Amino acid sequence: MSAKSITRRDFLKTASVAPLAGALVPGLRSGQAAPEPRVRVVLVRDPAALDASGRPDGEAIGRMLDEAVAALVGEKDAAGAWKRIVRPDDVVGIKTNVWDKLPTTAAVEQAIKRAVMSAGVPEARLAIDDRGVLRNPIFQNATALINARPARTHHWAGMGSCIKNYIQFVPRPSDYHGDTCADLASIWSLPSVKGKTRLNILVMLTPLFHGIGPSSYSQEFTWPYRGLIVSRDPVAADATGLRVLLAKRREHFGEDRPLPMTPHHIFLADTRHHLGVSTEDRIEFVKLGWREGALI
Amino acid sequence: MKRASVLVALAILFAGGAGLLTAQKNAGAARLASFIPRTAGPWLSEADRVYDAATIFQYLDGAGEVYRSYNMKLLVSRRFHKDGRPDIVVDLFDMGSSDDAFGVFTHDLDGEDAGTGQGSNYKAGLLSFWKGRYFVSVQTEEETKDTKPAVLDLGRKIAAAIPESGPAPKLVSYLPPEGLVGGRVCYFHNYSILNYHFFVADTDILLLGGKASAVLASYKTAGGESRLLVVAYPDEAQAVRAYESFGRNYMPDAKKPGLVRTEDKTWTASARAGDVVIVVFNAGSDEFAMTQLAAVQELMAAAGPVRK
Repeated sequence: MSAKSITRRDFLKTASVAPLAGALVPGLRSGQAAPEPRVRVVLVRDPAALDASGRPDGEAIGRMLDEAVAALVGEKDAAGAWKRIVRPDDVVGIKTNVWDKLPTTAAVEQAIKRAVMSAGVPEARLAIDDRGVLRNPIFQNATALINARPARTHHWAGMGSCIKNYIQFVPRPSDYHGDTCADLASIWSLPSVKGKTRLNILVMLTPLFHGIGPSSYSQEFTWPYRGLIVSRDPVAADATGLRVLLAKRREHFGEDRPLPMTPHHIFLADTRHHLGVSTEDRIEFVKLGWREGALI
Repeated sequence: MKRASVLVALAILFAGGAGLLTAQKNAGAARLASFIPRTAGPWLSEADRVYDAATIFQYLDGAGEVYRSYNMKLLVSRRFHKDGRPDIVVDLFDMGSSDDAFGVFTHDLDGEDAGTGQGSNYKAGLLSFWKGRYFVSVQTEEETKDTKPAVLDLGRKIAAAIPESGPAPKLVSYLPPEGLVGGRVCYFHNYSILNYHFFVADTDILLLGGKASAVLASYKTAGGESRLLVVAYPDEAQAVRAYESFGRNYMPDAKKPGLVRTEDKTWTASARAGDVVIVVFNAGSDEFAMTQLAAVQELMAAAGPVRK
């Protein structure tokens, strides 16, 4: 052990081990960076995001996404907002997530696609992909990436996050599983993705707040949150989504119930890899739409 | 010419080896599959999917690391489908040893005892149990009045089809029975799994390294809940290094070797005996902590070493 480890006793000094609530608190690490400008994270929710049978409603989701992106970039209308996300000459890869139990959903994918095309990008220069990104010519030549995935607890990484969604950009994802995925953010420095991500969308339509069984999934532990979290900063988006998941766990279990596997990759993305910001004091949080049951 | 012949011979040997491995895998998968019924009431099974430690990620994503950390050998997954009803999925793992089947079962102990196999629990449409060197999960996509009995019945049939039983890890016999909270004993090899159950440190200060075997148990005491961790290392030299590492990182301020009062006014005590390191956390008194250490060492002496 060359570097000082954070032990249980460090938490006992600060109060209790309860702050472990799903994360290794970044403030326990010495050498905190100086305050930085706050990054904007937009949460948009709408009861109409899911239809009566719980299926995503494409029209409502398109509207939510437009509102969120406009608020994110400070534009009044969606058309102008999306032109600040992508340019007509961009080659755009929409990185989705196809996990069968909780995918990004076609409704979200198509809403992004329509918006990107509305900004002038022809269909021939955009693609939607997940596990085939390394072989996809659009992704190989992408000048812009849009990252969209659902929020869920994860049995190894702690949380299925926007940061984690780029694991398909490496040939052997398991190479990044060490220390329960601590250094996932390093993937974002690879040439295939570095500096290309224009937008992160953490899909919060029916998040998973607790996982059981080999697949770490049970429909019983999802709920109709009917939201999207949108940010240019994947770390800030994930940290905000994590707050929602932890709040839901607290509500459901009636007590603080930390994520068993700490999603420290989110905080290390901030403190070790400087990919974005993870603490509330550096996030400008904007809430749009439906407030009931927002949890944060 | 001679070199080419050697290369050809090596290629044949390699292909033969790969073929042998495939044959072994197929035979293993067929054996696992033979334990699972073809139907579950009105549900009919679909084609099996087979994974090993290298391909498990195709099925379970990064969560496959949990099973890899317990040395999984093979998994046969079979889905049962019936129109209009939620699917049921059986995942039957060959963990290679009853120690690791027990271990992966103890990874999630929430739920009610279902009386299946050598240890089981049921919650929210998921039945988990272990028997012999096999760990089995039977899970429905949605718990209904139809699926719960179907899941439990399927589990019972699989357990009955598995012919052999197996012992729990010997380390479990080192746990003093007095005050032990039943059904909360966890067995593992990896510090991330230790932290999953009880956070100790953000790095592997106990040097588990995937090769050591550890058991973690809870004890009810007058002062609250204490934890007992017993770790068996591959050899004594590794235990010595681990014991030193733990002392240096966790109790650098110990006034007496292996004993410290922590910030929450409880006691942590540690000891090493041969290739085993013992740690008591959250003890209500130094006396209780030391008594626990001594009790483990007595049980070790009676039961003999983990590794022969």
